[in-house]
Amino acid sequence: MAKRGLLLLAVSTMLLALTQGCAPSRKYAWGNYDSTMFVHYKKPQEKEAYLERLKQIVENAEAEDRAPPGLYAEYGYALFENGNPKEAIGYFEKERAKWPESNVLMEKMIRNVRRQQETLGTSSPAGPAAGQEGTR
Amino acid sequence: MKRSSIPILVAVFASALFSGCAATVPKKDYSAFKAADPHSILIVPVVNRSVDVNAPDYFLSTLSIPVAERGYYVFPVDLVKHLLELDGLADADLVHNADPLKLCSLFGTDSVLYVCIERWDAKYMVFTTQVTVEFDYQLKDCKTGGVIWAERKGMVYSPQQSQSSGNPLADLVAMAISAAITKGMPNYMPLAHQVNGQVFASPKSGGLPAGPYLPDYRKDYDQ
Repeated sequence: MAKRGLLLLAVSTMLLALTQGCAPSRKYAWGNYDSTMFVHYKKPQEKEAYLERLKQIVENAEAEDRAPPGLYAEYGYALFENGNPKEAIGYFEKERAKWPESNVLMEKMIRNVRRQQETLGTSSPAGPAAGQEGTR
Repeated sequence: MKRSSIPILVAVFASALFSGCAATVPKKDYSAFKAADPHSILIVPVVNRSVDVNAPDYFLSTLSIPVAERGYYVFPVDLVKHLLELDGLADADLVHNADPLKLCSLFGTDSVLYVCIERWDAKYMVFTTQVTVEFDYQLKDCKTGGVIWAERKGMVYSPQQSQSSGNPLADLVAMAISAAITKGMPNYMPLAHQVNGQVFASPKSGGLPAGPYLPDYRKDYDQ
């Protein structure tokens, strides 16, 4: 069983190297963003590990000054879900400053997180979308 | 005399080759795309028409990078997914059937990318496993709600074809091994990455034109 898992890992790594090796170098410092999201969807219960992986990607991207679109916002949301609304707002603001296209959504996120903090004090997060806006 | 005729011959062959290719791949009309001129793309959750319940989330994880690398602002897919769930659109089918213009104003995006998984399956044979994926992509404009770019692409992976060592016995062993591996848990991800890479690559092959964050912006499609 363990052997098979190892083989699987080796083969998929080789395939990944093959499919991505021939691609030209990337514009942004994504790190292992796609596999981080994949693992997050595979094991959604591992919230802290997901947060930690995103943190690593953010740090590396900032060191290279090539942060991809959406990364700060995704990290901000993970922080919020892990009960850290203050830092979450900081990253929503970062996203908005770097990417003006995110302005409408980030304004909304910041406003909703603040509102929730005011009404609930510092209790556990539920979700920042609960607002007046509906999609239908 | 003889020497100079060679380059001409080569040129004739080359042009025959090129025109031959061009004839088989019909050119896409990018006029609607040009008029819309999107700067940002909202990737909404993926609709699943395969039997694999995990496929939509797994595939969603592969989309941000190739789209953003084409020079567009791409919204954070996981955050978007959660917001939609909290707004009562937990099901991707509901999202795809909702009014695109409402999604647009909710997120402040220029365009929305809708992706459907048509195929995501594995066929088991004696010595190999054939893995097949197929996706349907549609980009809708937020000014009109109309489709400004669409593509459908599938790909088949069979370890048998790509791993020939020239030694039949060794090949047989390799096949048996890879069949066992893929039987345990077929790995669709490399194939999914490859399809995305080809689909979004360049308007020359029907892909996405370069967005505002690329130097090729407004230059890489035919007038």
